[in-house]
Amino acid sequence: MNWKRALSRYLLIDLFKGLRVTFKQQNPGEIITEQYPKVRPIVSERFRGAPRLNLDPETGESLCIACNLCAVVCPENCIEVGWENREVVASGRQAQKRKVLTTFIFDTSRCLFCNLCAEVCPTYCLELTQDFELAAYTRKDFVWDREMLEHGREIRKYRK
Amino acid sequence: MTRLLVLGAPDWFYNLVTKFIAVGRGPVDYLIWPLLQIAVVLFIIATLVAYLVYAERKISALIQARLGPMRVGPWGLLQPLADLVKLISKEDIVPDKADRTIFPLAPMISVVAAFTSLAVLPFGPTWLHIADVNIGLLFVFAFSSLGVLGIIMAGWSSNSKYPLLGGLRSSAQMVSYEVGMGLAIVGALVFTGTLSMVGVIDGQIRSGVWNAFYQPLGFFIFFICGLAETNRTPFDLPEGETEIVGGFHTEYSGFRWSLFFLSEYTGMLIVSAVATTLYLGGWHLPFVTSRIDPNASPFLYSIVGLITFAGKVTVLIYVFMWFRWTFPRYRYDQLMDLGWKWLTPAALANIVLTGIVYVGIKYGLHLKFAGANDGFIGPANIKAKLVTILVMFAVATPVVLGFVAFLNRRTATWDIAEQRRRQIVARTERRARIAGLKV
Repeated sequence: MNWKRALSRYLLIDLFKGLRVTFKQQNPGEIITEQYPKVRPIVSERFRGAPRLNLDPETGESLCIACNLCAVVCPENCIEVGWENREVVASGRQAQKRKVLTTFIFDTSRCLFCNLCAEVCPTYCLELTQDFELAAYTRKDFVWDREMLEHGREIRKYRK
Repeated sequence: MTRLLVLGAPDWFYNLVTKFIAVGRGPVDYLIWPLLQIAVVLFIIATLVAYLVYAERKISALIQARLGPMRVGPWGLLQPLADLVKLISKEDIVPDKADRTIFPLAPMISVVAAFTSLAVLPFGPTWLHIADVNIGLLFVFAFSSLGVLGIIMAGWSSNSKYPLLGGLRSSAQMVSYEVGMGLAIVGALVFTGTLSMVGVIDGQIRSGVWNAFYQPLGFFIFFICGLAETNRTPFDLPEGETEIVGGFHTEYSGFRWSLFFLSEYTGMLIVSAVATTLYLGGWHLPFVTSRIDPNASPFLYSIVGLITFAGKVTVLIYVFMWFRWTFPRYRYDQLMDLGWKWLTPAALANIVLTGIVYVGIKYGLHLKFAGANDGFIGPANIKAKLVTILVMFAVATPVVLGFVAFLNRRTATWDIAEQRRRQIVARTERRARIAGLKV
């Protein structure tokens, strides 16, 4: 053992180094804990959470054209699109027969959040959002209908 | 003059009592005042211990970049209360094969031993300590060693392997570290010349130098042994969560377990208070307490003294917690090594060197100023004090270190890198020898 090493051992240099590290760590500014229910965490940009059916911001109507592509591409078969052929009068046009969306059922308990449905959607209607609180009390509550998909789930605010 | 065990009530308290009930000085001095003091001290210490747990959780959280308890009350300040409710309402389990008399007795002994020491702690000057026993330090040491009896009894009576191992470890640890601790304080006592806690502080105040300056090594050894004595990390082998589950309190639950907890934290408080008394000048704060005249304004002096004492104890307790979240636990043989081969010889060498320095300088003083026999307690020559401090730091400490290093020259080193290096050297030599034989 050389002298330098022996001296540093007898003066407990290593122990003091360790103490210095832990002392410097005690900086309240460097805390990484998230106060989750109080403060909502910022999830990753690429996070895929609760599904949503987007509405046309101008007219307020659904962007969905009931093409059924999402239901076809879904590997879990958790999407069910219902439509009917109906006479639709668009503004300034003649009445014409079109596919119109009636129901949209999305089973979040079976969904694997692969994002294929959102990618395949031609009108950017279906989208997986950043919302991650998907828990429910019954199996039935996991099955989201069109209303819930369009307006989103009610987010509970925690005061405490 | 014999010293009274109970100090008697201060005048303001006596006047206050006589306003309501007509009693003589006797009952107030020996019954009402001490009982009131005991109640106040017990209440404060119990609350303090609960908040020490909170402080420990917060400090550990900060060290690990967490927040710690935050949900009960603002900043989790009511967490101790919630813990208390939880602990009291938990089921009290006694194992089937446990010894039914000793099992409940063990935590009680631990707590009683811890709380009894509080009687002689000098929390503050004049009326702020309960009793000034002339063997105060001995008393504290006696009761802190009694605390381990509770741990051993818990280990034995649980009738389970882990508590038994914890109890065994605790007794071995106690025996090895009590020696070092007892020897370490001798150096400080040489300078103060009394075992009374108040006397020790008075000596330091009169000389104006804290014993930590005269006894840097003694303070160090005392502090390390104090860590071991209170079963704190790096010496928490009796608990040893990773090896022996919970150690001696594996089988305890609910309130009985919390009694052990209480005694552990009270023990920490006591060791810090004793270290403050012995080495850090107790309630002496330079430039502040010396300006307040104790006779002219006793109340102010007492309160300032109490705050000073509490501050010093808080700093030491913080160091305790800081150590806990920095150092990993010692292995059992390392613990024994450290106690017997390093700390005990170092404490012994420290006593010898302290004695030599003390006698030498005192004799020198005597030659220079005839009658300066009060040595270091009185306001002796400041130059002599400075020389003593210098000698203690610059000569005595390296000599003791060298002596201990010499003693341990053949002890296996704990340095793993060093061990590895030696292994490689040995292996190369062996290979060379074998190769040599073949040729």
